[in-house]
Amino acid sequence: MSEVRLTVEQRTEFGKGAARRARRAGKIPAVLYGHGADPRHLSLPAVEFARVIRDNGQNAVLTLDVAGAEKKAEKATELALTKTITVHPLKNYIEHVDLLVVHRGEKVTVDVPLVLTGDPAPGGLVNQDLDALQVEVDALNIPEQFEVSISGAEIGTQILASQVQLTAGATLATDPEHLVVSIYEAPSEAAMEAEVDTEGAGVVEDKPETEGGENASAE
Amino acid sequence: MLIPRKVKHRKQHSPNRSGAAKGGTKVNFGEYGIQALEHSYVTNRQIESARIAMTRHIKRGGKIWINIFPDRPLTKKPAETRMGSGKGSPEWWVANVKPGRVMFEMSFPNEAVAREALRRAIHKLPMKCRIVTREGSEF
Repeated sequence: MSEVRLTVEQRTEFGKGAARRARRAGKIPAVLYGHGADPRHLSLPAVEFARVIRDNGQNAVLTLDVAGAEKKAEKATELALTKTITVHPLKNYIEHVDLLVVHRGEKVTVDVPLVLTGDPAPGGLVNQDLDALQVEVDALNIPEQFEVSISGAEIGTQILASQVQLTAGATLATDPEHLVVSIYEAPSEAAMEAEVDTEGAGVVEDKPETEGGENASAE
Repeated sequence: MLIPRKVKHRKQHSPNRSGAAKGGTKVNFGEYGIQALEHSYVTNRQIESARIAMTRHIKRGGKIWINIFPDRPLTKKPAETRMGSGKGSPEWWVANVKPGRVMFEMSFPNEAVAREALRRAIHKLPMKCRIVTREGSEF
């Protein structure tokens, strides 16, 4: 995975008001932490950061040039990995980013996306249980994705986490027995219609209130 | 239709309609989903109607997930009744849906057919909705 350079600023004001002002100004509030150091509050350029994530994925290693760090006698350059991106559920903009400090040569545990390739055998329906596989890997050699081929897979096929081909240097951190993808028989029209009346039959509620019980006593 | 099997109290206060969905805002099970863009109470009849609309369109070869459950009773007083005399009787079972919530999910091999099925289901629901995919839209 490529290393990307990003110029960021130190945040001096905090809280929702300041965060909203920063977002209006085209910045994303972020926090950088890890390795026992005090957390640093940053603001990232929104458009550039979104482009970096689009082009390089969430596991891109960022080289952050922190503007104004010299005045506070803090490190001016940090190597960081994106830990969490909070996206607005409706408007699809980045609200906040958690960044994790990493060092060169360090092993990190990251979620690498799983991509399914090919189509299963006719009549089969794909059920993907895992979107990403957690692996332990060198911080500067994080794979972009793992490919899982399901071309021609018969009904009943199950692919477990341990069966996914990992790149060299990556160690599986997810449970090896965890189901990644399964192929099952697509339900028939009759089976889908039959779902209609199976649930909710026979409602049992608590005992009905006595006629004017509470009101009668209040009066 | 979806109805709770057992409830602790027959009558409840009306559910709070403010704020956005805190969870369930992404497609987790299928490939496509219907996301609410407004607050609304979705009744069990509307859920069933949307499900049938989708099922009838895709016919076979797909799977549908319903991520909401109508667990809140709404009451209504009979027509031409004077005020007072206590709370009305339960009339509807609703799911309190907030903006951002993915209510239905679908897995189907053909995207065009799946989108049409979801579009038909949206017409059965009481609020503005949109179709979302598992990959999600880029920011």
